Amino acid sequence: MRIYNCFVCSHPIYPSHGIVFVRNDAKEFRFCRSKCHKNFKMKRNPRKLKWTKAFRKAAGKEMVVDTTLTFAARRHIPTRYSRDLVAKTLNAMQRVEEIRQRRERVFYKNRMAGNKERQKAADRKLVEENQHILLPYERDMERKVGRVAEEFEEMEVESVGELEVQEVEREKVGIKVKAKRGGRKVAAGGGGMDMD
Amino acid sequence: MGAIRRSKTKRRERDVDQVHSDLRNPRQLEQHKALIPDEDRPGLGKFYCVECAKYFESAFSQEHHLTGKRHKRRVRFLKEAPYSQAEADAAVGVGVQSFTAKVLKAKKEEELGQKEMEIDIEL
Repeated sequence: MRIYNCFVCSHPIYPSHGIVFVRNDAKEFRFCRSKCHKNFKMKRNPRKLKWTKAFRKAAGKEMVVDTTLTFAARRHIPTRYSRDLVAKTLNAMQRVEEIRQRRERVFYKNRMAGNKERQKAADRKLVEENQHILLPYERDMERKVGRVAEEFEEMEVESVGELEVQEVEREKVGIKVKAKRGGRKVAAGGGGMDMD
Repeated sequence: MGAIRRSKTKRRERDVDQVHSDLRNPRQLEQHKALIPDEDRPGLGKFYCVECAKYFESAFSQEHHLTGKRHKRRVRFLKEAPYSQAEADAAVGVGVQSFTAKVLKAKKEEELGQKEMEIDIEL
């Protein structure tokens, strides 16, 4: 019994599954399901279909160069059955699979790293370039909010400096700071949806 | 009356991988052309476009085809190695080593061929 792989999507094909097309130059093409067969008949290039394994590898979505991927191959030399060898092989397979999965996870993490920041920057740019769509009081919101935040920070520094000198003044500043905080919240509520 | 599950091959055109090897293997091209006698081909089989695997009625229509978008697209597409079962297998980790070795070798040969072409043009 041999388990073939689909010509289009690389899915394993077990006996009695799928369909085979034999071209007039005696070349075999095996398909796991009618979806793959139809795509082949439409002369589509599996490298360009996003749902195939070949695409994912060619486009750098999955790990391609790795030592854990080099074990599976067709071997033309038969091996004599030995219990020890089978046990050893099974163990090794498990271990290799573990390592492969771990590396795959690392690869995925690296691939996705920085996506959030990139998306945020793109959103910022979008808002900046389309200010005319926003309501007048929502325009330049980023700059306004930034100014408020700066003032707030300055005040905090001042309040720390005067803390020990005058208790009465500290209270006043405290009230001011609170007020500023409230104001900022309102501003963020107004244009918050577009900001981040 | 059910749907026909098998492929209808009466009007089947030549596949990309076949054309790819046609361009590199003149013997195979001759064999393919010899399948049907020239008298039965359009234009007595004189005007053939190898890339598009297509016969034309006259030299004029062939030249017109060669300046067209479809032909140029096809030529561009044929520059890269065709998709194969080996690639499908390698994508799920079967025979990765032999496949990558093959790809590298093909790339090297292609580069060498391009260099020779450049030398020819210079000469």
